[in-house]
Amino acid sequence: MTARGEASRFETLPYGVGRLTGGWALLVVALLALVGWGAYAYSCQFVEGKVVTGMRNIGTMGGATWGLYIAFNVYFAGVACAGITVAALIRLLNLNALRAVARMAELLTVITLILGAFSVLADLGQPLRALINLPLYARPQSPFFGTFTLAIAGFLFDSLVYLYLAGRRDAYLMARYDTPLRPLYRAWAAGYRDTPAERERHRKTTFWLAIAIIPLFITAHSTLGLVFGLQVGRPGWYSALQTPAFVVLAGVSGVGLLLVIAAILRGYLREEQRLGTGVFRWLGAFLLVLTLAYLYFVVVKVLTGFYAGHHHEQQLTQLLLWGAYAPVFWGSVLLLALPAGLLLLQAITGRWNIPALVACGVMVNLAAIGKRYLIVVPSQTHMSLLPYGPGFYAPTWVEYSIIVGLFALGALLYALFVKVFPIMDVPEEGVR
Amino acid sequence: MRTGLMLLLVLGGFALQGVSYFFLAAPWGFPPSGVEHSNPRVPFAAAFFILGVGLVFLGAVVYELLPERGEG
Repeated sequence: MTARGEASRFETLPYGVGRLTGGWALLVVALLALVGWGAYAYSCQFVEGKVVTGMRNIGTMGGATWGLYIAFNVYFAGVACAGITVAALIRLLNLNALRAVARMAELLTVITLILGAFSVLADLGQPLRALINLPLYARPQSPFFGTFTLAIAGFLFDSLVYLYLAGRRDAYLMARYDTPLRPLYRAWAAGYRDTPAERERHRKTTFWLAIAIIPLFITAHSTLGLVFGLQVGRPGWYSALQTPAFVVLAGVSGVGLLLVIAAILRGYLREEQRLGTGVFRWLGAFLLVLTLAYLYFVVVKVLTGFYAGHHHEQQLTQLLLWGAYAPVFWGSVLLLALPAGLLLLQAITGRWNIPALVACGVMVNLAAIGKRYLIVVPSQTHMSLLPYGPGFYAPTWVEYSIIVGLFALGALLYALFVKVFPIMDVPEEGVR
Repeated sequence: MRTGLMLLLVLGGFALQGVSYFFLAAPWGFPPSGVEHSNPRVPFAAAFFILGVGLVFLGAVVYELLPERGEG
């Protein structure tokens, strides 16, 4: 069959699956170039060692041993946890208005977990050694186990199971089309025929999976908070608020990013009907509640640290409020407060504006990155209980390039998936 | 058959998590930073725990994929 004939066979598939446009190809090439640049930066780090990064030992070398990579690991893990929780809640609470974004959220989770794993590997000088030693010696009682092992290995597997099972019906419907992707859809559907018995079984499975996934998300992300929150010798980290604040900020960044992705796909696929204002109103309302809750945590943390904290806590709070980290701190607060105001205004008036919601999604994600950076770095550079002077950390081009490469990898995986599998539930009508 | 296998995976997965956490991994005790409370009693205890988590979720795949008797 000619290329034109092949293309015409894809014309009938829903949501642009299989239709490779010029703009999409250009995007893929640009993303591949960025991934390649990130891989080159990583190869420099692997060959020359971590001296090419801005990270140095705490205290004696006046630096931070955790920098951009760990800040982004926390960010990616947060987005991942929020993504699967939104997907689970949609199926658990039968939120039909949000069903269109369920797969987007599931895919977001899988991809960001992969990116989170890569950020941890980038942080390690000898990643292969870590891959062996972690399963060999890890201690399940340790919060580190809960994050870097349970969150990434266990959670990634669970999310893949969820994505796979939730996609079987659509794979079955897609396999009705005669396209070169049919073998893939048949394999994915694995004998599914959409009978009432199968639907009922799927409903039951999804319900129990959702029940299992939500506590797993809270446990996994709480232990990530505990990695910091249990370090008694590190002012700024040792706080009972660390864990709930981690979970809530995870929700903020995940829902914000989902809003942005849903808006991009709405425009790209011209699906104004399925991805209508109702979807964005729900996501906007979720984002509003979570952002306000997180702002509340910020205020409480600053007040307690400043007013009644141990003097190191007070120093750290001053450092954040008007010291070296003040631009990032106030920038993040502004990028949370502004969207909170915008969302509140839309909620009060009942007029939800999609471009404004997208702007809120972008702003809260920038704020989340800033807050993750502030959680990780200042307590290492400035807050040692030992008599060391203040330290300094500035990421190098290698670290920035690897992070850009990771974002590009995430976008690339998303763009490829959208062309292979429907990103939303396929309506039965219209399918042959 | 299908339900039985699913239950076996789910219960087996939880059992493996419990056994690896309480009997194969490093024992609880003070000081937690001591060598005897840090090294696993059995190598790869943590990997067994993760395997247990995986088995529980694999139960869902088995439940959905295996046909019930008579369904063909």
